[in-house]
Amino acid sequence: MSTKHSKAAEKFLQDRTMAAWHNETLWMVRAKRDKMSREVPEWEELREKACQLKLYSNTHLAELLTEFEKNAAANGAVVHWAKDAEEYCGIIYDLLKSHHVARFVKSKSMLSEECGLDPFLAGKGIDVVETDLGERILQLMHLPPSHVVMPAIHIKREQVGRLFEEKMGAEKGNYDPTYLTHVARKNLRNIFLNADAAMTGANFAVASTGDIVVCTNEGNADMGTSCTPLHIAAFGIEKIVPDLNALGVFTRLLARSGTGQPVTSYTSHYRAPREGGEFHIIIVDNGRSKMLADPDHVKTLNCIRCGACMNTCPVYRRSGGYSYTYFIPGPIGINLGMAHDPERYADNVSACSLCLSCSNVCPVKVDLGEQIYKWRQKLKEIGKDNPEKRYLSAGMKALMDHPVLFNAALKAAPLVNAMPGFLKYNRLNAWGEGRDLPKFARESFNEMWKKHKIQGKEDRK
Amino acid sequence: MSSRETILEHIRRNTSQKYEYPAWEIQATDYADKISRFCDAVRLSGGEAVVLQETESLDDLVRRRFPEARHIASQMEGLACATTRPDELAAAQELDHTDVAVVEGQFGVAENGAVWIPQNVRHKVLYFIAEALVIVIDRESVVSHMHEAYRRLAGQDYAFGVFISGPSKTADIEQALVMGAHGARNCLVVLR
Repeated sequence: MSTKHSKAAEKFLQDRTMAAWHNETLWMVRAKRDKMSREVPEWEELREKACQLKLYSNTHLAELLTEFEKNAAANGAVVHWAKDAEEYCGIIYDLLKSHHVARFVKSKSMLSEECGLDPFLAGKGIDVVETDLGERILQLMHLPPSHVVMPAIHIKREQVGRLFEEKMGAEKGNYDPTYLTHVARKNLRNIFLNADAAMTGANFAVASTGDIVVCTNEGNADMGTSCTPLHIAAFGIEKIVPDLNALGVFTRLLARSGTGQPVTSYTSHYRAPREGGEFHIIIVDNGRSKMLADPDHVKTLNCIRCGACMNTCPVYRRSGGYSYTYFIPGPIGINLGMAHDPERYADNVSACSLCLSCSNVCPVKVDLGEQIYKWRQKLKEIGKDNPEKRYLSAGMKALMDHPVLFNAALKAAPLVNAMPGFLKYNRLNAWGEGRDLPKFARESFNEMWKKHKIQGKEDRK
Repeated sequence: MSSRETILEHIRRNTSQKYEYPAWEIQATDYADKISRFCDAVRLSGGEAVVLQETESLDDLVRRRFPEARHIASQMEGLACATTRPDELAAAQELDHTDVAVVEGQFGVAENGAVWIPQNVRHKVLYFIAEALVIVIDRESVVSHMHEAYRRLAGQDYAFGVFISGPSKTADIEQALVMGAHGARNCLVVLR
């Protein structure tokens, strides 16, 4: 019984060249992250502090969010609260309608993906334009992002070239990334200048000042919010940080971990509305407050969406973002999906080799791999475990618990070497799907030890 | 019950163990030569940083570096080459087609080449819309790292502020790095 992830991964791997490119490119980003982290001697201190700051913030959310609300209001912003995706979409739609917005520009926001904002607004006849280059490419291709920071990592330049020929009047057959980027620049510049409203997410919301902080390399969030009279910013409750000093820690970690840069090109602090404009901020729960109650998984809320866990994950790199059933892929996506709806997203927990590389690169010390392990223990409880593997495990446990049985099995094991494949690899052996059995030794370590065939350090002298 | 109350009530009900605020300080790396580290960091981010020489004025420098520029927008005093006073424009959109924007930054950060700019012009789009951005800072203003930077922001009153590190960039097409995604294609920091 394969999971949806493993089936989708098989499809992804059919294009071997693309799969190899995907793997190597993300590994290159991981290597850049390593280089950056090593240039900062206090790196581990930063990670520890970031983790503690997030644990503090996420266990003082009521205090910090109300402090934020008070300060943002004093700055002239209007603060809204949305308990779920429906309310979030509704507030945005009402704002756009009451301001007669026909042209709406958006910068990247995973929250809007989570809440299905674009399809919702499209259904209401509002023209939403994603302005991050990767997001724009995907929007025009009607595809979702496959990575949180590099959304179009699975798209080739030729596809972008052909798309821009059709949608932006680009030259035929020119697939140069510089040329294509500048075609999009010109096309989107015009859209920015004529937009009626702009939307951003938030990387951080600062309780003590009411600042909304957005980090981009392209400057798209700023182009949008600098030209329009209405700025809507929305953030999930876990994006709150207590004060500006906390930002000192997070801004040092975010880009270094995510893309291997010392900092993003733009770290924008939105505090008050533009002259003559309006600034609306939406604080969104959508299941996050529920996650607070689970001590095993509360740390998932630490995540700052840098994407480092995806870049390092051997399974993500070799299976691609679309192999996961939750809209956020990789180790953090596996955990977020399970926290939101375990029955629906249980297929993803198989997409992990438990190498724990993700836990080691995470800048806010989310114990990603350890949490995936914990979710696997709960699969039976939610009726999502694999029955064949359950029997195998029960069998293994019986063997391990009974030394006589274990030794007998060990003695018999070399017989398997000579067995024909159909006996070894069949429907009953779920473990054997995609794996080869090792060749069993004729003699076990135990027996060799008893016969003094094992040389200790002492003997070798 | 309003959504605000519902959310706050859920938060309070579901929060069990509370963690303390980590008040301890990070032993952050300080740079002996902040200016040279800053210049290196700006270069790494795809920009350029120069120290203004006594023999040259800012006006001369801008003219020398951007001889082709036709539209130079700046609100700074004594910049004779400026063709547009951006604060006099009614709409932000009028700044489109600006070749060079010359703006004042408040301080630089040595570790990453970022410059803090609290909004000091009428249209903040000036920082993003020009083909080339020139940011002028005081050479004595460079701090070592972001901790120091944010300590400097404490109590500051700004409607909008931004750390800018190098030009606008993207690698969204096959991870090929391209300058000038939406904002400035070139970024020059002048330390005077």
